[in-house]
Amino acid sequence: MSVLLEVDKLVKKFGGVTAVNNVSFPVLKGEIFSLIGPNGAGKTTMFNMISRVLPATSGTITLDGQDITRIAPHKIAALGMGRTFQNLAVFKHASVVDNMLVGRHSHMKTSVLGGLAFGPTTRAAERAHRKRVEEIIDFLEIQHVRDVPVGALAYGLQKRVELGRALATEPKLLLLDEMVSGMNAEETEDIARFILDLKEELEITVMMIEHDMGIVTDISDHIAVMNFGERIAYGTPAEIRADPHVIEAYLGHKIEEDTEAV
Amino acid sequence: MRTGVIQESYGELISLFRNPTQTYWTWALVIMSLAAPVVLTGHVTSLINGMMIAAIGVIGLNLLTGTTGLISFGQAGFLAVGGYTAAILSADYSMPLWLCVPAGGLMAAAFGLLVGIPSLRLKGLYLAITTLAFTIIITHLILSAESITHGSSGISTAKPAIFGMELATDKSFYYLVLAVLVLAILGSANIKRSRVGRAFLAIREQDIAARAMGVPVARYKLYAFVVSSFYAGIAGALMAYQIRFVNVDSFSLVISIEAVSMIIVGGLGSTAGAVIGVVFVLGLAEILNYVFSSMGGAMGSISALELKGFIYGLTIVLFLRFEPDGLMGIYREYKNRWVNWPFRY
Ligand SMILES: Nc1ncnc2c1ncn2[C@@H]1O[C@H](COP(=O)(O)OP(=O)(O)OP(=O)(O)O)[C@@H](O)[C@H]1O
Ligand SMILES: [Mg+2]
Repeated sequence: MSVLLEVDKLVKKFGGVTAVNNVSFPVLKGEIFSLIGPNGAGKTTMFNMISRVLPATSGTITLDGQDITRIAPHKIAALGMGRTFQNLAVFKHASVVDNMLVGRHSHMKTSVLGGLAFGPTTRAAERAHRKRVEEIIDFLEIQHVRDVPVGALAYGLQKRVELGRALATEPKLLLLDEMVSGMNAEETEDIARFILDLKEELEITVMMIEHDMGIVTDISDHIAVMNFGERIAYGTPAEIRADPHVIEAYLGHKIEEDTEAV
Repeated sequence: MRTGVIQESYGELISLFRNPTQTYWTWALVIMSLAAPVVLTGHVTSLINGMMIAAIGVIGLNLLTGTTGLISFGQAGFLAVGGYTAAILSADYSMPLWLCVPAGGLMAAAFGLLVGIPSLRLKGLYLAITTLAFTIIITHLILSAESITHGSSGISTAKPAIFGMELATDKSFYYLVLAVLVLAILGSANIKRSRVGRAFLAIREQDIAARAMGVPVARYKLYAFVVSSFYAGIAGALMAYQIRFVNVDSFSLVISIEAVSMIIVGGLGSTAGAVIGVVFVLGLAEILNYVFSSMGGAMGSISALELKGFIYGLTIVLFLRFEPDGLMGIYREYKNRWVNWPFRY
């Protein structure tokens, strides 16, 4: 399989704190890739650099052969990268449909004047993109809430809307930051099923940060483990489970975390 | 209980009117608006003209402050730019109204861009102060650029006329203002159901996520400034024609505060709310004027302006505290209750 995303010697410093230190790994086309590690390991910071929310201090990020390390953040969506946020970043006062339509932004061309006049071209565009959004709504099984303001929905549904919004950008690579945290077992299973469908039916490469080891080892093709900003392991789920560094550095924490989470 | 309306195509889903009832009400409103000047007195018509002109500006402000979340006290400044542009072009260059009014809008839009660029990194209070400063700067510019603006003596505009037809009376001017207001409402509603309006709202709600979804945030903030000040410029130009005279006092700072209070009262982000807010605030001001002048004596001499400032401040505080979604929020709540009665959800 070919490489879709390559991060090379990525570093992020916040003042004196090194949140990510010299991290490299490949993400292969069509796989499910998990980034795991204890709290504060630097996982979200990695996502933020990859999606250009934060500038990298040094290192390079390559998407599909193109160096995107310094590209303008709003161009990421058009290049085929979609993401969700650890602390839900939905547009609370907008409806489910409108949230997802924002995901279509970079596929639309309506100008300010086009919007003011709402002529035939704008109308046709709205209709076409609305159709695509309705397909995603069907896929995620949230038809019943399509016109509800997202802020009024239960947490699990809001997360699903955020996933839908990311899907609406038509990503080649989808970054999911702790999608199932705060979800019950049933909701978690739904999400795992969606992620597998994305990979198998839509051929989307999924990169996820997860604390839930169950879902990580069940559906991942490759896993990278971070601790204190460093990459301490990379491999298949079986390799990771057997890795002494991981057992030492990560699984020790894991037990504490589980009790914390309850 | 009315049952929900089922849309049958995506075309219907994106249309402005979701059901026949809305269409009927809209037509009823159109007919009433057309007939209004025939039955109303000249004074009331002139009052309504003032409200409609204010509404045009406030609908624009609502796109900037309500929808995009960029607080602006620059309204009076943009009104002044539009008003002076129209007045100068009509009085000193004898240009016709149909050119002067759009020119007022375009000039204000250019100033909007000018204010927008340094404001890109500012939020909340800092943006409020910057835009407030803009209004003050504009006043000073007008007073000092005497050769163009006639300084403190002001400018008398030509009589409003369109394509050779004089609109000398309040009643005839009414139809012009109504037409512009309808265009303003349509434009605002259209923008809000297009990707531009969704981007505005996305910026207000979560700018980082908006950017990650492909919205060039800085550029769209500038768009919001430009569109909003264009609306204000058009309103300013119409103001100049309505009063037939502009000077800096017509665009005092209190108008900026008044405009923000209108969108808060009506409901931030709602076009209908902007119109309702204008009617509520200006209606209230008119009633107060009437009450105080009829009391006469000491009370009658309290300057209407001071009192207005106080009332606007109070309405802003009360609405933010008790009804942050404004009158539109109250309306939606009651409508839902009524439609679903006797079921609650
Ligand atoms: N914007 C920021 N400014 C300063 N420090 C930051 C910033 N963002 C993250 N950090 C720090 O960088 C480190 C890594 O944080 P990060 O959010 O990437 O961890 P994480 O692996 O996602 O943890 P969690 O599992 O809790 O989400 C932490 O020490 C954090 O305090
Ligand atoms: Mg994190």
